[in-house]
Amino acid sequence: MSMFEEPFRWMEAISTRHSYVREKLQSGQPVIAVPYQDGALILSFSPQPGKIFEVYDRIAMGGMGHPADVERLRMTLLDMAHLEGFNRSSQDVNIARMLQFGIAPSLKQNFEEIMRAPYLIKLLLLELDRNGHPNFFRLNYDGYWETLKNGGAIAGDEKVMAWIDKKIEETPFATFPLEKALVKACKLWQEGKQQAVSDEDKNGDDPAAPITLKEAFEKWTLEAGVLCAQTKRKSIYRKIDAGEIEKLKTAVL
Amino acid sequence: MKSSQDRIQSSGDFFDLLQRSGYRLHSHLENAGAGERTILPQATTVLAFHYKDGVLMAGDRRATAGNSIMYERCEKVIPIDDYSLMAIAGVPATAFEMARILSHNFEYFRRSQMQPMSTEGKIRALSKLLKDNVGMALQGVGAVSPILTTYDLRTQKPLIYFYDILGAEFQVNTHSATGSGSPMIRGIMEHENLWGKKPLAELSEMDAIKLAIRLLQTAAQFDSATGHARPKDKLFPVIAKVTKDGYHFFPEKEMTELFKKSMSRG
Repeated sequence: MSMFEEPFRWMEAISTRHSYVREKLQSGQPVIAVPYQDGALILSFSPQPGKIFEVYDRIAMGGMGHPADVERLRMTLLDMAHLEGFNRSSQDVNIARMLQFGIAPSLKQNFEEIMRAPYLIKLLLLELDRNGHPNFFRLNYDGYWETLKNGGAIAGDEKVMAWIDKKIEETPFATFPLEKALVKACKLWQEGKQQAVSDEDKNGDDPAAPITLKEAFEKWTLEAGVLCAQTKRKSIYRKIDAGEIEKLKTAVL
Repeated sequence: MKSSQDRIQSSGDFFDLLQRSGYRLHSHLENAGAGERTILPQATTVLAFHYKDGVLMAGDRRATAGNSIMYERCEKVIPIDDYSLMAIAGVPATAFEMARILSHNFEYFRRSQMQPMSTEGKIRALSKLLKDNVGMALQGVGAVSPILTTYDLRTQKPLIYFYDILGAEFQVNTHSATGSGSPMIRGIMEHENLWGKKPLAELSEMDAIKLAIRLLQTAAQFDSATGHARPKDKLFPVIAKVTKDGYHFFPEKEMTELFKKSMSRG
């Protein structure tokens, strides 16, 4: 007898699937995106680069979860953005359209087709609109997405994520110059990781994972990028360079 | 999502992505047999030459159809990426389409593969588009003869390539021009390079701009399909440079003064 004939078994399977994905994502390291006075900033620490990406002229993203799944969604977003930008105009490419009419319905359908492997991801997306105003979005593994007015975070640990979200809301990031926004966002990364209730939770499955900025700078790589309204180029994304990271290290350590 | 899910890896080729989504650069006209007469690119003058800081690229603004002047503010020097410009001569519809494909191709590759496309790859990408367009070109409805300028970040050198309509690419170390007005100025460029006060590659930016404006005015004098500048109407040639800092177009407000200086002797 197929489980599709028994609604309860289907609901149970979905519930199990949620538990499975959340458990898999538990050790996911935080990614933080905030506004600053010239645009928007996104950053994260990771053992190897592969969490922060440019998507289109005015769009960037951060990913957390299984790298292969992040990569599949990254490529999907890239394909959608570039095809739309080519067939219509770069001005028609924005995150809300890509999520609402592209990624989110497919992701939800994929999650509820219980014979298919679920995507083990959370994504944080950011863009500067044509007026230079930053928009932030968070996409969950089941296709649910939300807008974040003043920036936000993704993290495997829900408590950590909620705490960083709250602190971002309380901090006037949009008034900060880039250097100050970087320092403050890094400190939120560290303080956020302290919010997990036990040492085991702090590090998830990896007890060697850094929980302080000092450890993070020593063991891992800081990935950071900005969408800067002041650039004259069509593509307004740029990575934070080595010199800026050195200055940041001096400021936070 | 299907297209990406079904692929294990991406080549980073935007043209490939376009074709998978059902796009065709050329229509079915190519199967209609060869035209009686092949019409080669006409009705334009665009040029590029090396100067002290990089490459200067310039183009007139006129677009024609036969004997009719259709448009006097055509942009024939087109940004492709931060370090590349393409100057077009030929059928505008095809040329603009190629420029758009190329622009998306370079950016799509850079973003998807997380590294810039090599200069060789960029040069080849335009060659491939021209080759795919041969059918249309030979029927006289889609011939394009472009010049591509790019700054090679690896070797830290600016490069100029010109192409024939079949897709062959040729690197030039001094100067290049294409379009119907180009025969009128190629000799001048060669003369300036060999016997002018300085070789073109040693010209200052100001001298390079002056020369480019004068060359286009000369071409317009002898070629009816190349447009003159009309300062009163704020109509100037497009002048751009490619250097280690990327491309830069000289804006209209600067062109007024630059044009004035260029038109005086000396």
